[in-house]
Amino acid sequence: MDLNWTIHTGEHYVLFGESGSGKTSLGKIIAGLQSAAGTVKINFNTETDLPAEVLFVESWYQFKNLEGVANFYYQQRYTSQQAKDTLTVHAELVSFGKEKGLHFDKVEPILEAFNFTTFASAQLIELSSGEHKKLQLVKALWLQPQLLIIDQPYTGLDAASRKNLNILLDKVTEAGVQLILICNDDELPESINRFAEIKDGQVSVSKSKELAAFSIEKNLKDIPDFLKESPAYSSKDIVKMVDVNISYGDKHVLKSINWEIKAGEKWLLQGHNGSGKSTLLSLVNGDHPQSYANELYLFGNRRGSGESIWDIKEHIGLISPEFHWYFDASATVWQSIASGFYDTVGLFQQLPYSKSLQVDELVEYFNLSASKKELLTSLPLGKQRLVLLARTIIKNPELLILDEPCQGLDQQQTKQFNQMVDELCSNGMTLIYVGHFESALPACLEKRILLENGEVKVVENLNTQTRHSEVPSNFCTVPSK
Amino acid sequence: MSNYFNTLPLREKLNQLGVCDFMDSNEFLDGVSALKGKKLVIVGCGAQGLNQGLNLRDSGLDVSYTLRKEAIEGKRDSWKNATENNFKVGTYEELIPTADVVINLTPDKQHTAVVNAIMPLMKDGATLLYSHGFNIVEEGMQIRKDLTVIMVAPKCPGSEVRAEYVRGFGVPTLIAVHPENDPQAKGLAQAKAYCVGTGGHRAGVLKSSFVAEVKSDLMGEQTILCGLLQTGSILSFDKMVEKGIDAGYASKLVQYGVEVITEALKQGGITAMMDRLSNVAKIKAFEISEELKDIMRPLFQKHQDDIMSGEFSRTMMEDWANGDKNLLKWRAETGETAFEKTPAGDVKIGEQEYFDNYLLMVAFVRAGVELAFETMVQAGIKPESAYYESLHETPLIANTIARKKLFEMNRVISDTAEYGCYLFDQACKPLLADFMKKVDTDLVGKNFNEGKDGAVDNRKLIDVNEAIRSHEVEQIGATLRKAMTAMKAIKTA
Repeated sequence: MDLNWTIHTGEHYVLFGESGSGKTSLGKIIAGLQSAAGTVKINFNTETDLPAEVLFVESWYQFKNLEGVANFYYQQRYTSQQAKDTLTVHAELVSFGKEKGLHFDKVEPILEAFNFTTFASAQLIELSSGEHKKLQLVKALWLQPQLLIIDQPYTGLDAASRKNLNILLDKVTEAGVQLILICNDDELPESINRFAEIKDGQVSVSKSKELAAFSIEKNLKDIPDFLKESPAYSSKDIVKMVDVNISYGDKHVLKSINWEIKAGEKWLLQGHNGSGKSTLLSLVNGDHPQSYANELYLFGNRRGSGESIWDIKEHIGLISPEFHWYFDASATVWQSIASGFYDTVGLFQQLPYSKSLQVDELVEYFNLSASKKELLTSLPLGKQRLVLLARTIIKNPELLILDEPCQGLDQQQTKQFNQMVDELCSNGMTLIYVGHFESALPACLEKRILLENGEVKVVENLNTQTRHSEVPSNFCTVPSK
Repeated sequence: MSNYFNTLPLREKLNQLGVCDFMDSNEFLDGVSALKGKKLVIVGCGAQGLNQGLNLRDSGLDVSYTLRKEAIEGKRDSWKNATENNFKVGTYEELIPTADVVINLTPDKQHTAVVNAIMPLMKDGATLLYSHGFNIVEEGMQIRKDLTVIMVAPKCPGSEVRAEYVRGFGVPTLIAVHPENDPQAKGLAQAKAYCVGTGGHRAGVLKSSFVAEVKSDLMGEQTILCGLLQTGSILSFDKMVEKGIDAGYASKLVQYGVEVITEALKQGGITAMMDRLSNVAKIKAFEISEELKDIMRPLFQKHQDDIMSGEFSRTMMEDWANGDKNLLKWRAETGETAFEKTPAGDVKIGEQEYFDNYLLMVAFVRAGVELAFETMVQAGIKPESAYYESLHETPLIANTIARKKLFEMNRVISDTAEYGCYLFDQACKPLLADFMKKVDTDLVGKNFNEGKDGAVDNRKLIDVNEAIRSHEVEQIGATLRKAMTAMKAIKTA
């Protein structure tokens, strides 16, 4: 409502606010990607070589296959298929460079800084969410537009990449790029000198941000009773991997992995982008075709002994960025949550009355009642994430797999969600949790496994007092202009 | 080998053509048990082969692939598809003798050679599974009497078969048991279990026969699905260019229009497609589609007659024997059409504009779907089968045209479909010459509603709506679509 905001030369902003406050919309309006009443005026500098352009880097990047179709599924990148139907990273960069008239030698140092050179021949469908984010950032840093707006620059990035991104952002600001970062993060580039908070449709600007002013408000609501019951385990051996190897052609993604998870254990899974975390989890969730050639036991049974993937998924509640990314666009909020009972992406059956009551209870618990009949995709990303989190726990599963569950949530929501995870886990649920941000982990985690380049680097018990931080393994060398 | 259908007495012909049962979901309560522990060996690992195999294995079944020696030694794509996904791969000699079920997913044209090679190796009492009945019905392949012969045909491309399975759904599927080869009466149970293994049981399964599948499939693909979409697209493009519409615009309207228009067809039948038009436009589209039906009816009937008599497959197999001389010539001609050579212009066409400015295609689609359906039903094919082979598949082909235009569309569809498509196209164009002379840009290229006040006569509109809604293809379609409502919408460009 009647929002006024002037950004002067030399000001580099962070735009922050609660999930659903309108941060993304405002960014898109400035970039001319969304229309609004009123005017947006941008005065480009005519004295610089930088392109007179506003680039908006979406937090949610959609790509299409070579035939213009975007109907992908999250397991697709694990299947090896000779008929390649998406562009490679290299081809994507070549076409971007051609469209914008950029020199290819300028992009190489940026690729190196993000540890991304090995992905040149990878197809878009093969990239993880963190890698997709890097590709978008690479393009933006290569283009160096006069105004660069990045929505959620850090989601999905490991600690080293976040650090490198900040260094590179400082570099481009020196070259004359003006920044608006849309995020609620605190590790920021040094060049950031303005903070704009959006609240109730208004922007208020200050020169500093009060750090961690959020009160750790306990969610007053009690979790629904049906989630307080201890899960019924069919076996106390949840996962057992013996010398597991996964490769695509010459590319070895997982190397001799040995890992055991017993019922009730709470694991933290960590590793840099591309270290093999998602692939490891896909084995546990029955999603990887190469499971059948490995010695892998799930819930007490050898994989490939006649079970179906649905027999496996029955025990598991899973969320991951890729799962969210490729979720059914035609499902409503209510249907999305209900589909968790059947492990399907979208709801294809009628729910028995008792189960539909449980969906209603969870909708209420997550404060989603007002939007329960809306399409999931029509909600802001943070809200969508809450819906899928509700879907993940609806059946009170034996094993909860939370792969970066809190992407897109604000601090308050993250805290509340992790509190709920702690509460669920106190009832005996088994947990695998992937998170890049040390500050945003649930308290119940007790064991940690660290992957590096497809190998198990560390397996250890976590002492709650001295929680290990993710060690950045490779600092970048900053490219010179 | 002689045409199997023609060896049958009339009563048996009618009997087999009339097999058609839309199966209730509780017929699948046994799950995959009829195939549990059995060795399933798939011949061929292309899109259908790989994706069906992935689904079957993920349903707890034992799947491996057999390929020709050259494909294995040459490490061809089919070999890579199978081995890189950790399937066991072997030659015919290595794997066929161990197989309880051999699944033939090679292209139609290779069926005779493949079946002749594998049949002697199959163990006593095993099952041979097809996904299309051409080899049995038209080529008259005789299968050893101890073997069971069944068909399971997912009615979608292989990539969709996989995509729908992993999200917990499936694609509509047609199954059949060959009455000449069911010595142990296990065919139906195995076909149903296979459907469960690929996920098809969730989206609606139609029990058909080899004969009904072939005769309806050939009819659908050469008339409405490929033939008429090709003819309509070329005539529409040429007309727009003749009348001075920008060629880039015309190319884009034709390439994507058919997909947008048939998306409405997919979701709500001809009724929904026609309802996208204004009242005046709908009445006009109705009138010209009636005219088109009258003009084209004899041609549709001739195609159905030639299919039933075996004349169509006889001439086509002659061309196969002749090194595809006709097919390749016609294919090259398609590549030379002005539409094919004009790239889609860089213009924005809104979703509704595709209906308003392309009323002619709406009329073509209505006329073609209804005619194909009516002609099949008159020939003894049951409405459910006729629906799948006409209305259901039209959006799938339209989708291919949007992605690849006509030349490539013809290359990706089956050999039989491509051959039939050209036959139809060549006969249809001269038939429509007079009709096309009267067509102006209000029907194709410009908004039909422009300059009209939109008023219609109530009674007239009621009659038109009634005629559209009460057609049998709409009645049966409403029932069948209900079973697959959860299918994702095809994305439009």
